[in-house]
Amino acid sequence: MPPTASIAPQALDTGPEQSLPLPGPTRGKHAETPATQRWQRASARAYGLGLAPALVVLAAITLLPLITLVVVSLTPLSLTDPAATFHFGQPAGNYAQLLQDQRFLDSLWVQAKLSSVGVLLQLLVGLGLALLLHSGSRLLAGLRTFFLIPMVLPPIVVALVWKIIYTPDISPLHALLEQWGWPVRSLIANPDTALWAIVVADVWQWFPFTMLMVLAQLQMVPRDPVDAARIDGANRWQVFVYIVLPYLQRTLVVCALFRLIDSFKAFPLLYVLTNGGPGTVTEVTNFYGFIQAFNFSYWGYGSAIAVVMLAIIFVLSALISRLGKANGERHAR
Amino acid sequence: MHAETWHSAAPSLPLWQRVVQGAQRHLRSTVAVGVLMLVLLPFLWMLQMAFRPAGDALSLDLIFSPTLEAFTGLWQDNFARSFGNSLLVSVLSTGLSLLLGVPAAYALSRWRFKQRRQVALWVLCTRMAPPIAFTIPFFLAFRWLGLLDTVWALVLVYLTFNLAIVIWMMQGFFDAIPTALEEAAWMDGCGIWSAFWHVTLPLTRPGLVATAVLCFIFSWSDFFFALILTRTQAVTAPVAIVNFLQYDGWEWTKIAAAGTMVMLPVLLFTVLVRKYLVHGLTAGGVKD
Repeated sequence: MPPTASIAPQALDTGPEQSLPLPGPTRGKHAETPATQRWQRASARAYGLGLAPALVVLAAITLLPLITLVVVSLTPLSLTDPAATFHFGQPAGNYAQLLQDQRFLDSLWVQAKLSSVGVLLQLLVGLGLALLLHSGSRLLAGLRTFFLIPMVLPPIVVALVWKIIYTPDISPLHALLEQWGWPVRSLIANPDTALWAIVVADVWQWFPFTMLMVLAQLQMVPRDPVDAARIDGANRWQVFVYIVLPYLQRTLVVCALFRLIDSFKAFPLLYVLTNGGPGTVTEVTNFYGFIQAFNFSYWGYGSAIAVVMLAIIFVLSALISRLGKANGERHAR
Repeated sequence: MHAETWHSAAPSLPLWQRVVQGAQRHLRSTVAVGVLMLVLLPFLWMLQMAFRPAGDALSLDLIFSPTLEAFTGLWQDNFARSFGNSLLVSVLSTGLSLLLGVPAAYALSRWRFKQRRQVALWVLCTRMAPPIAFTIPFFLAFRWLGLLDTVWALVLVYLTFNLAIVIWMMQGFFDAIPTALEEAAWMDGCGIWSAFWHVTLPLTRPGLVATAVLCFIFSWSDFFFALILTRTQAVTAPVAIVNFLQYDGWEWTKIAAAGTMVMLPVLLFTVLVRKYLVHGLTAGGVKD
């Protein structure tokens, strides 16, 4: 079939962002003959058959668990009290307790610190590296791939890499500092530095995300206004601030929101490096929910924490969706 | 695309400016290489540790005779089994999500029905939800069904994110394929799904491969679900690493070797799909 060969590369290059106007099976508007109607009904049935299994499974594995989660969060269900499954005597009991629970409130604050500083640093480092690597040179284009390594490593391997760096007995960092006469206590055992040690590892893991998105967007910056500004005597910094940055603004906001949402899921780093400690200084909300649900087996209470997190994430997702829509087709992959 | 960007040097500049630009570009490359080395240092350190003899694990000098001791030792432990589990779970979950997700993506791409937007939004939401929101109900359900610590439990749980990825990615690839060919096949008497199978699907093969690889990577890398839903039988490789850290003392060369084994398939596969990486990671957020 000759057309296949000519279309395949094009389909590859344009990729998903180009959506063609699809005439589809509904286009027979001029001739609504019984045959077309029959065809339309048949095709709707066929498409429905293809879609249904996925939607049924998706409902079973996402909606059903979420309903269960909300229901469980209204009960005091726990390992020691299995009879409490359908015990709705105090539906808001877990939530009332959450407001009193200092450890929970602290975990929200730790989460806020970790997320805000972590995401901000990721944006700065990612943006900086994207600007550094954006050029026609083949060497720099080749280097980009290597900068992606931290992001694509399995999170547990990232945690392992930093466990080695932060464990004084085996760490090259500690050994070097000692050789230079600056012995340092373990950064993850020290309550003052533990959270920031996690932030460093988190930024290391996720700056490539911003870098990649910004690099893609930099390709969209048109040449003409930049040249015009140069001719008018603008220096590099002015060109960046007044011409390039406005093009990147929305990409950066989208990156920030994505990373913010994902930062609520941070788990392997915390589990392997500090286990929430020392004390509770690195205990984020997700981790506290994990401890309540699976260390103490207070499933009802853990579910209430998860529901609160879901609510926060839902609001942030709505923001992303709105920004993404406003952004339209201008956005690169 | 590159020619239009704001850094490429125009050949019409006077010589001295070209020299300055050349120098600047070399400065840029030097700085970039330096930063890259700094960034990759922690990662490379783990890598070299995996190849050291066990007695020499902690020394700082970089001259040593590399050995595979750690890897062979690892393989004689139970690690081979958890590596196998990881492979099995990832392959099964990827296959199942493609089986369910690809036809659904095709229907979403070609069939304009009223609730299309709502379905897309729902798919996006499942990607955003924190894993802990799914883990508690799944844990309770699997406990009740006796499925805890089985491979099937993980396969099912991984569908929660893989199915969304398949639907999102494949819908994009199908959108990019013109419908003219399918319509020709319909005229010749093909049904919708037979036209899909013989005409459209072969055209999206590269996209299909990229999607499958991303699914595999996400399943392979999962730690949270596997930690909670497995105990001894169905332990996957990432959980096995943590067990090494917690229970088996501090055999650092072995631990580093385990980390190397876990990241190896991911790094190899990423090279194949790096073009689609961002699209997969931002699934659902940027468009539609």
